[in-house]
Amino acid sequence: MTTGPHEHVTPPAGLRERVLEASLRARLAGHTVPPVPRISPDEAFSRAADAFYGLLCALDEPAWRLHVLRDLDVQGLAGHLIGVEEDVQRALSGHPAPDHQDHVTSTQPAADRQAGRAAAATRTDWRRAADRTLAVVRGADMAAEVTVWGIPLPLSALLVARAFELWTHENDIRRVAGLPASVPDVPTLRLMTELATSMLPFGAMLAGLQGPVNLRLVLTGPGGGTWDVVIGGDAPEPVAIGIVTDVVDFCRLAANRLDPADLDMHVTGDRSRAAGVLAAASALALD
Amino acid sequence: MPATLGLVWLADPATERTASTRCPAAANRASVPWVEATDALLTARLAAGDDRALADAFDRLGPAVYGAALRVLGEWNAAQDVAQDVFVELWSHPDRYDPAAGSLRTYLTVLARRRAIDVVRSELRRIARQERNHRLTPPPGVASPSDEVEAAEAAGVVRAAVRLLPDSQREVVELAYFGGLSYREVALAIGIPEGTAKSRLRLALARLESVLDRQLLEMS
Repeated sequence: MTTGPHEHVTPPAGLRERVLEASLRARLAGHTVPPVPRISPDEAFSRAADAFYGLLCALDEPAWRLHVLRDLDVQGLAGHLIGVEEDVQRALSGHPAPDHQDHVTSTQPAADRQAGRAAAATRTDWRRAADRTLAVVRGADMAAEVTVWGIPLPLSALLVARAFELWTHENDIRRVAGLPASVPDVPTLRLMTELATSMLPFGAMLAGLQGPVNLRLVLTGPGGGTWDVVIGGDAPEPVAIGIVTDVVDFCRLAANRLDPADLDMHVTGDRSRAAGVLAAASALALD
Repeated sequence: MPATLGLVWLADPATERTASTRCPAAANRASVPWVEATDALLTARLAAGDDRALADAFDRLGPAVYGAALRVLGEWNAAQDVAQDVFVELWSHPDRYDPAAGSLRTYLTVLARRRAIDVVRSELRRIARQERNHRLTPPPGVASPSDEVEAAEAAGVVRAAVRLLPDSQREVVELAYFGGLSYREVALAIGIPEGTAKSRLRLALARLESVLDRQLLEMS
C-alpha cells in the first residue's frame, strides 16, 4: 500500500447501508446512551416536590420577602402553590374549581393568606399540601382523566406538568435569591421532555405556526432524546427541519423562562420555520 | 390531542415575556443562534439516539476510517469489517469519545487502526498455529493438493515477513509465535527482561503489519 496516514478512501458501495444497519441492530434509534431509568409520574412529582421543599428549607427569613413574579414574593409564591395543590386535590376528588377560573385567579386567595405569617408556617403548609396530593395519586390509575380548571387531561400528564411547574418556580426563587439554577434528576427530566415534545403540536396551534412541519427534535444531554414530531397538521409536502439543542434549555424554553432568540441550537432546514417551532415550544408555558 | 390541550392553564400571564416574543410573526423574524456542527455536538446527537447523526458521521468520517483500516489491512473486505466495527462502537458508546482529547476524526481513525492491527495479529496467530500444527502433527491421511498449496503459501508469506525483521525482533517472534513460548519464557530463553521481550514483540508486530500485504488475508 502506498496510502498516506491521512488518506481518505471512498468506501465501497453498500458499506454505508451495512454500517447503519449493523449499528441500529446494536442500539435502536431513539435509545439514549446511557439509558434513562423510567419512573412513574407521581414519583417525578414527588422528586420535584422534595427539591422545592429543600430550597424552601434553605432560605433564610429575609429571602422569603424577595419579589419573584407578578405581585408575589417567595412566600406568596409558596402560597400560590398551596392553592394549586388544593385545586388539584379538589379535581382529584371530583369537585374541581369552577371552570371559568384560571389557576392564577383561583389560587390568589391562598397566596394572599400567607401575608404576615412566619416563613416556617408557610413552608410546612406547602409540604403538607404536596403530601396530600401525593397520598391521593400514589397507586392511582395514571391514565385516568382529571379535569382541572375546566381542562381534562390524564393524571400522568398532570403530575409531570406539576413537576415542570415546581422545577420552574424553584428556579424562579433561586434566580432572585442569587442561587445557582438546578436541573431535575434525569428520569424526571426525561418525563418532562416527553411531555413538552408531545405537546408541541398544541403549542404550534397556540403560536399560530403556519403550515405543516416534520420536525426531528434532538435534545442533548442526560434526560434528552430524539423525537420526530409532525406539527401543523397533515399536508402532502410538509417542511422537514431538524433542531438540536440542550435538553435543559429546551425545558426552560417550554417553561417560558428562556427567549427563543437566546436558545443555542443547531438547525437543519428552514431556519425561519425552526424559529416558529421554538415559538410553539415557548407558547406551552409549562411553568 | 384534546387530553393534553389543557396544560395551557399552567401559563402564568404575569411572567410572560414581552408580547413581541410571543407573537408568531415576531418569533419568525427572531434571529436563531447557530451552533456549529462540532464533534461534541455530533456525539451528543449520537448519545441522544439520533440515527441521522450516525449517517452524518459516516458521510463525514467514513472515508477516513475506511482508509485507515485499508492502509493496515490492504484488503477491502477486512477493511469494511473494521469500518463497520468502528461505527458500531461509536453508535453504541458515543460517550467513550472525549472531545477534549482530540478530534472525532483522530479518535475514529486511531480506533480503526487498532482494530485493523488486532485483525492482523489474529491472522498472524492463526497462521502461526497452523504452522506449528503442520510441523508437530503428521498430516492425517492425504491432504488435498489445494490445501497443501494454501498452507505452503501462508507459511511462506509469514516466513518472508518475519525474515525482514531485525534480528532481535525476529528472535522473539519466532520463540513466541512459532515456538509457542510466553513472554516470560521468551525473556528467560534469550536472557532479557520480560518487559523488553514484550516491547520487542510489539515493535515486531507493528513492523509486520506494514510488511504483510493483502496476500495474507486473501489466503485466510
